[in-house]
Amino acid sequence: MLPENVYKELEDILGAENVTQEPAILDSYAWQPALNLLKDAWVPRPEAVVLPQTTAEVQAIVQLCNRAGIKCKAFSTGWASYSACGSEGVIQIDLRRMNRIIEIDEKNMIAVIEPYVCGSQLQAECMKRGLNCHIIGAGPNCSPLASLTSGWGYGWTGLYTSYSNRNPLAVEWVLPNGELLQMGSLGSGCGWINGDGPGPSLRGVMRGWGGAQGGLGVFTKCAVKLYPWPGEEGAPKGMRGMMLDLDMETPKLHKLYYIYSPSYAMYAEFAHRIANSEIGYIHCKLTTGGFMSVLMPRAIKKIMKSKAIRAAAKALQHCTSIALACHSEREFVYQEEVLRKIVEETDSFIFDWSKLAPRLHDTLLWLFHRSIPPAMIFRVGGNFLTSFGANEMYDMCVLGCEAGEQLKRPYIDKGIFIEDTGDNTWGGIYEGSSGWGHIEECAMYDLRTSRNPEARFDYLDETVKVVQEKTLGFSLASVGGDSYKYLGPLMYNYHLWQSKIKSAFDPNYASDASFYIPPYEEVVKIMEQEDKGRMFGATRSES
Amino acid sequence: MSHTQLESMRSDYEGCSRCSCCKWIPHAQIMSWRYAKSCPSVDRYNFHAYSASGKLNMALSIIDKRSQLNDAVASVIYRCQLCGACQVSCQNYRDDIDHCDSFHVMRSTCVQEGFVLPEHLEIIESMKREDNTMGMPKAQRSDWAAGLDIPDINTQKVDVLFHAGCRYSYDEGLLDTVRKWATFLKKAGINIGIAGRDEACCGGRAYEIGYQGEMKKYADDMASRVKASGAHTLVTPCSDCYYTFKYLYPKNSLGLTVKVLHTTELTDGLLRQGIIRLKSSEPMTVTYHDPCHLGRRGESYKSGWSGDVKLMRPVQFKQTGREGIFDEPRNLIKAVGGVELREMERIREYSWCCGAGGGVLEAEPDFAVWTARDRIDEAMATGAEAIVTACPWCEHLFAEAIKEMGVTMKVLDVVDLLDMGLGGE
Repeated sequence: MLPENVYKELEDILGAENVTQEPAILDSYAWQPALNLLKDAWVPRPEAVVLPQTTAEVQAIVQLCNRAGIKCKAFSTGWASYSACGSEGVIQIDLRRMNRIIEIDEKNMIAVIEPYVCGSQLQAECMKRGLNCHIIGAGPNCSPLASLTSGWGYGWTGLYTSYSNRNPLAVEWVLPNGELLQMGSLGSGCGWINGDGPGPSLRGVMRGWGGAQGGLGVFTKCAVKLYPWPGEEGAPKGMRGMMLDLDMETPKLHKLYYIYSPSYAMYAEFAHRIANSEIGYIHCKLTTGGFMSVLMPRAIKKIMKSKAIRAAAKALQHCTSIALACHSEREFVYQEEVLRKIVEETDSFIFDWSKLAPRLHDTLLWLFHRSIPPAMIFRVGGNFLTSFGANEMYDMCVLGCEAGEQLKRPYIDKGIFIEDTGDNTWGGIYEGSSGWGHIEECAMYDLRTSRNPEARFDYLDETVKVVQEKTLGFSLASVGGDSYKYLGPLMYNYHLWQSKIKSAFDPNYASDASFYIPPYEEVVKIMEQEDKGRMFGATRSES
Repeated sequence: MSHTQLESMRSDYEGCSRCSCCKWIPHAQIMSWRYAKSCPSVDRYNFHAYSASGKLNMALSIIDKRSQLNDAVASVIYRCQLCGACQVSCQNYRDDIDHCDSFHVMRSTCVQEGFVLPEHLEIIESMKREDNTMGMPKAQRSDWAAGLDIPDINTQKVDVLFHAGCRYSYDEGLLDTVRKWATFLKKAGINIGIAGRDEACCGGRAYEIGYQGEMKKYADDMASRVKASGAHTLVTPCSDCYYTFKYLYPKNSLGLTVKVLHTTELTDGLLRQGIIRLKSSEPMTVTYHDPCHLGRRGESYKSGWSGDVKLMRPVQFKQTGREGIFDEPRNLIKAVGGVELREMERIREYSWCCGAGGGVLEAEPDFAVWTARDRIDEAMATGAEAIVTACPWCEHLFAEAIKEMGVTMKVLDVVDLLDMGLGGE
C-alpha cells in the first residue's frame, strides 16, 4: 500500500476515479504471460495504478514519485511482460487516456500521436490521406509510440515502411526526474519534423538498440514518420467478413506472392536482390510449418506424423511472402518483371495468389498490410515466446533461422513446444539496399498444460549461447533482466554506457528499470561481485 | 473461500494473453480513430480490469487467492453490458476463451457470495412478484394488445406464439411498435396468438445479472405455454428474449421444442417467399444498429462438445457470433422503396452496444446513456435521418440518449419501415 499522503496526492492530481489500489484491479495489471522472460505469468503487482490524461499530469506523478522515493512505470497498450512493473513498490502509469492523434501533417508525411493510439487507428487515419505507417509484427493492437520510443519491432511492410527504431521524429518526453524534454526540432520551436535537431538530438540515448522498456521516464507524444500509401485513399471497398473469410476489393496494383527458394542461402540471396532492386511493399519470411499450425491447430500434430508431409513442409520452408503495391500500371509491370527475374535467378518458384486463390489473396494482403496474422499464433497454444531476432545484417538473421530450427526441434519432440516443423521464423529485410533486417524465431506453447517454465527457459538460454557462439547479434531472449552481466562485456560494455545514461537521467532511480538497467554505481558493484571469467559465455540461468 | 464456479473457468482465465485485442473491434475492420473501440466498459472506466481481459485476470487472481471478491470487484463485474463484442474480437484470433460464459460465472459467484446490487434485487423481486422485470403489475401484461383481436392461446390453438417480452409489454413509448408487429404479422396471414396476462418474463435478465437459478422456472413456464398453444413456432420482437431462447435455454438444457424466430427473421422469410410485398415510401436515409442479443449473441447455442481443453474444441462449437441475425433486418430495410441504408463503421458482429444490457440500464443508467450517446454520434456521422433497430431495449435507450444530447434523429424499429412500405405513416 502506498503511504496515505502519497495516495491522496495522486487523487488530487488525477481525481479519485483515476487512481486505484484495489488488489484485484491491481492484479489485472500483474497478469503478463506474453513474451515473459520471468518464470511466472504473475509479475509483481503494482502498488497503485494511475490514469493520467495530460503531459502535465504525467509530470506531476513522476515528480511526486521522485519526492516520495517511489518508483513508477508507464505503459501504453500494455502487451508483453516488460511493459509491467518488474519489482515491488512501483506505481503503474496506464496511459490509455492519452489516446489522441494530435495531427497528421500530410505535406511532410508525419503524424503526432499520444501513447494509446494503436497501430490500426493510426493506419486507418493515414490511409484517408493517402499515407501509411509502419505496424510492428506484434500487431496493430500495439502502440506505435511505444515501439518507436521504447521497444523494437519489424512489421510486414518493413521493406517499405522500415523498422520501429527508424521511424520516431520529435518526441515529448517526461524525464525520470519529472522534467519535460522536447527532443529534436520540437526543442527548438521548429515543430515535430525531426528527431535529430535543430535541438537536442538524443535518439540513441532515448532508445538505443531495443528501447528502455519504460525504464527511462514517460514518452507522452511522438512524431511518426509516414510513407505514401500506394492505393486509393480511405478504407477498402465492400469489406465483409472478419478474418480469413474477409471479402473485399484490393487495389488493382497490389499483388501478393509466395516465393519458394531451394535453400536458406538462396532465400537470403533472393532477399538481398529484392532489396537492392528497390522494389516491393512487403517482404517477410513465412514459415510453412507455422502457417499450417495456425490454420490447422488441431490437426497439425497428426498431420506432421506423416513423413511425406514433413518432407514437403521442409522442402517449402524457405518461403518469402512478398507483395507489390504500385502507384501506376507501368510501375507495376516493371516491378513484377524484376520480381520474376529475381525468382528465376535464385532458382526459386513463384506462387501467384491472385491467380490461384483470388479471394484469399485479397484477404491475406489486407491482413499482412495491417500486421494482423501474428495474433493468430494464439490459436495454436494460446501463448508463444520469441528468440534470436537481432536487428542485424540480413545474412546473420538467416543464419539465426538455421540455428533456431536445430535448437527448437528437440523441444518440440519433448512436447515442450507445439509442432511447427521447428521453423517458425518471421521477419524481413528493410530499407532497401542497406541489407539490414530482422528475423525472430517463435515457439508456441500452452501455458495451462505446462505450468513449469524451466524447459522453456532452457531453450532460451540455449538460444543466447548460440547467438554468442555464432556472433549473431543481440538476441531477443536477452532483452531486460540481468542479461547485461554476460552480454555487456562481450558487446563493447554497452551496459556501462546504458547505466551511465540511467544515472544521469534518473538521479533518484524513480523509473522502474527492471527491464532496462540499474544505475551505474549499482552495475559497477554487481559486475565487481561477479566472477568475470565464469561470466564469459555464461547464460541467464547461470548468472 | 472456495470458488468452485470460478474454478470451473480457470482454463479460460489462464488463456488470456493480455494482448488487449478485446478492447478493439477486429483490427481488419478498423476504419477510423473515432470508432475503433469495442468495449463500453473499459472505454468509460479505463482501468484494465474493466476490459474482458482484465475481468479474466481478476477472476484468476481471486481463485489463485491473491485477492478477494468484494464490493469494488463486483462493481467492475456488473459495469458490463455483456454485449459480447470482446468475445467476437478475441475469438477472431483464437479459439479457447469464452468471455460471456466466464462473466456469467463471475456474476453468479457475486450473487452467491452476497455481492449484489439493490437495483438488481428490485428486478428479481419484480420478477418473483409480477413475472416481469419492469416492476409493473402482471394484470396489465396484455394491455398492449387491447383492440387488436389477437387470439389468446389459453382459449385457442395457433400456429405461431407471439411473445412480446417485458419491455414491449409495459414501456409506453414502445407500445405502438409491438402493436405494429402483431398487426403486421396478422395482416401477412400468420395465425398468431398471445398468452395474454399469462405471458411471463423469459428469465434471461435474471440469468445475466447472476441469479441463474431463477431462469429455470421461467423456462419451464415458457415451455408449458408453447405446448398449450399448439404452435410450431415461437416468434418475438424482443432481441433479449430471442437470445434467451436461442442461447441461454439450450445452454442450460432448457431448450424449447419449437422453432424460435425473431420477427425480422419471420418477416424476411415472408418477403423472400413473396407473401408480402413492400411499396415505396417517402425518401428517407437510415442507418441500422445491430442489437447485441439479436446479432452476435443471437447465434444459436452450439451444443455437443464438452471438455476443458478448448484449444482442441472443433471450431463448429465455437460461439463466434457470425451466425447471428444480421442480414434479415437489412433485407427488410432495403426492401422498402425510397429508404437508403447507410452503414455505420461498427456493424454486424462488431457493432457497438446500445448500453442497456446486462443489468446496466437499471443499475448504472448514466453509463447506459453514455454508451448510447456514442452510438448516436456514430449514427449521425453517416448522415442518416433515423437509426433503425430491432430491440426494445436499444430503442428505449437511444430515445433517452437523443433527448439528453438535444439532437435531431429519429429512432425507428424495422416494423416502422415495414409499416411505411405497406402504406402506413
